[in-house]
Amino acid sequence: MTSIRRQLLVWLVLGFSLATIAAAIGVYRQARLEAGEILDFQLQQMAAAFPKEGFGPLTMPPVAAIEPGDVVVVQIWDQGGVQVYLSRPDSPPPESHGMGFSTVSTPDGDWRVYSAIVGNNVIQVSQPTSVREELAAAMALRTMLPLLVLMPLLILLIWITVGRGLKPLNVVASAVGMRSAEALQPLPEHGLPTEVKPLVSALNELLARLGRSLSFQRSFIADAAHELRTPLAAVQLQIQVAERTRTDDERAAAFAQLKGGVDRATRLVGQLLALARYEPEAAEQPFAPVNLTDIARDVVVERAPIADAKEIDLGLSSVAPTQIMGDAEALRVMLGNLVDNAIHYTPTRGTVDLEVRTQSNVSCLVVTDTGPGIPPAERERVFDRFYRGDTAGQTGSGLGLAIVRRVAQRHRASIELGEGSGGRGLKVTVCFPENPLAKA
Amino acid sequence: MRLLLVEDDPMIGESVGQGLRQDGFTVDWARDGGAAELALDNKVYDLLLLDLGLPKKEGLDVLKTMRRRGNKMPVLIVTARDAVVERVKGLDSGADDYLVKPFALDELAARIRALLRRQSGRTDPVIKVGKVSLNPATHEVTFQGESLAFSAREFALLEVFLDRPGAVFSREQLEEKLYGWGEEVESNTVEVYIHTLRRKLGQDFIKNIRGVGYMVPRHP
Repeated sequence: MTSIRRQLLVWLVLGFSLATIAAAIGVYRQARLEAGEILDFQLQQMAAAFPKEGFGPLTMPPVAAIEPGDVVVVQIWDQGGVQVYLSRPDSPPPESHGMGFSTVSTPDGDWRVYSAIVGNNVIQVSQPTSVREELAAAMALRTMLPLLVLMPLLILLIWITVGRGLKPLNVVASAVGMRSAEALQPLPEHGLPTEVKPLVSALNELLARLGRSLSFQRSFIADAAHELRTPLAAVQLQIQVAERTRTDDERAAAFAQLKGGVDRATRLVGQLLALARYEPEAAEQPFAPVNLTDIARDVVVERAPIADAKEIDLGLSSVAPTQIMGDAEALRVMLGNLVDNAIHYTPTRGTVDLEVRTQSNVSCLVVTDTGPGIPPAERERVFDRFYRGDTAGQTGSGLGLAIVRRVAQRHRASIELGEGSGGRGLKVTVCFPENPLAKA
Repeated sequence: MRLLLVEDDPMIGESVGQGLRQDGFTVDWARDGGAAELALDNKVYDLLLLDLGLPKKEGLDVLKTMRRRGNKMPVLIVTARDAVVERVKGLDSGADDYLVKPFALDELAARIRALLRRQSGRTDPVIKVGKVSLNPATHEVTFQGESLAFSAREFALLEVFLDRPGAVFSREQLEEKLYGWGEEVESNTVEVYIHTLRRKLGQDFIKNIRGVGYMVPRHP
């Protein structure tokens, strides 16, 4: 699991270590340079300390200026080039053939050599360069040491600071964690650091959306339960009436009523299921090319017996294939509901007409009936769930047009309610958005 | 006893009407608030069964209007609205009882009987006038301790008289109590029933008030 705290710690410690190492390297290089200059000066001073007038009997050179432990080798040659003095016979020192400073490589390492003519003699003072390197390394180490000592303290500081910095996140997390599924009120955004605020605002927006969807679901369930109560109450009463019957005729009539009651409850449950199935959030069938005319024909064939029983002239007035992208099953349910409504409200010997028309790439389904129509004031409300209008004696589910609207919404189709021909009846026009499949 | 049932759902209205008729009530059925108000203008009903969600005029509006006009008829609200606030609102608007759908027909009938009893100022579920006692719940009639059999109409007529002993009913009023909308009334049926009642309970049990109608005296 990634932890911001651990990541910050690792990267900060790594950065700090790299900075420390870089500082040490810088100090080392600078110290070497400076130590070189100082020691060169010392060598020069040492050579200059020899007497110009030459030596009497050769004695030990005055090496007091050189710090103890420094390995300095002094060699003296006379005018004839004969070596007259060597301070360290045990280790043969390097020889340089020029005057002034030079660096000479020997199998034992590099030496810094200074040669000068003093009086009649040539004096050469040599020192291993390792002396300067050790000096510089010691200085670099001294610089690094306090930083290394500070490192654990730094780690602790980072750990605590980052922990404190992340505290608002923990507060938000525990606030969310302690919530019950029903508590959807927004989390407090006040006093949160700018880094945490967007997260909390996003969460709050999600909570608000969830709340809306939840309250929609709740009211739907409440409505559905309430609506189911009426047909079930009817069935219960019908059963009681059937129980009290005394003759076979009465019993047969009671059972016919009971059957009607059960059919009605079943239809309502079916409509509720359809409504839930075409819920915008529900898993949707992918759209496929659908022939609207085929669907219209199917619906007419299916409803023909019901229409016939009421002596209603139900028919389809267009036969040209019209393709759109859609969910065939949902469209069939939608058109079925429209036609059912039309048949239901149209009086005996009326007409219900279906039409599929395409104009400039817009395909429309049109259902026209010769029923009472819907007054303009009610045309918006009829799409509400369980709205039944001001008509007594209807046992519809009140869901038909709600389902129609939902399916239309899924297809981004527009619904228009208007008058039928001659200002009589109802004309429902469902137009699907411009589609590339339409054949002009 | 004649009841007005106001119910917009055809199936429920049909079944409640049938069930109550099986229990011996005379029932008229109005399918919306407007029809209910028209029917209430005719002061023939003993009790109103009122649904709340009605087309044309809400049940509570019907109730408030009739109470404002001084109509004292018992009102039993029969509705699917089961929330406590709805019940409280219904009762506080002038209803005498509140029954939530779905319900048992027997309970509805019992509540109707209880309301009618209270309306007549009785506490005993059995109506006793003189040597006759009538039980509206069991449809049993005893005379001098002996059980008598009556047809549904005869029983209903007897109940009308015994419910208000001392009250005078015209023939038209009695017909209205016994026959609902759409029921054919033959010209002299009430006289035939009264004749039967007298035959079983004694000639003096029901008195003729000449030119006005009939009466069962308080203490025959």
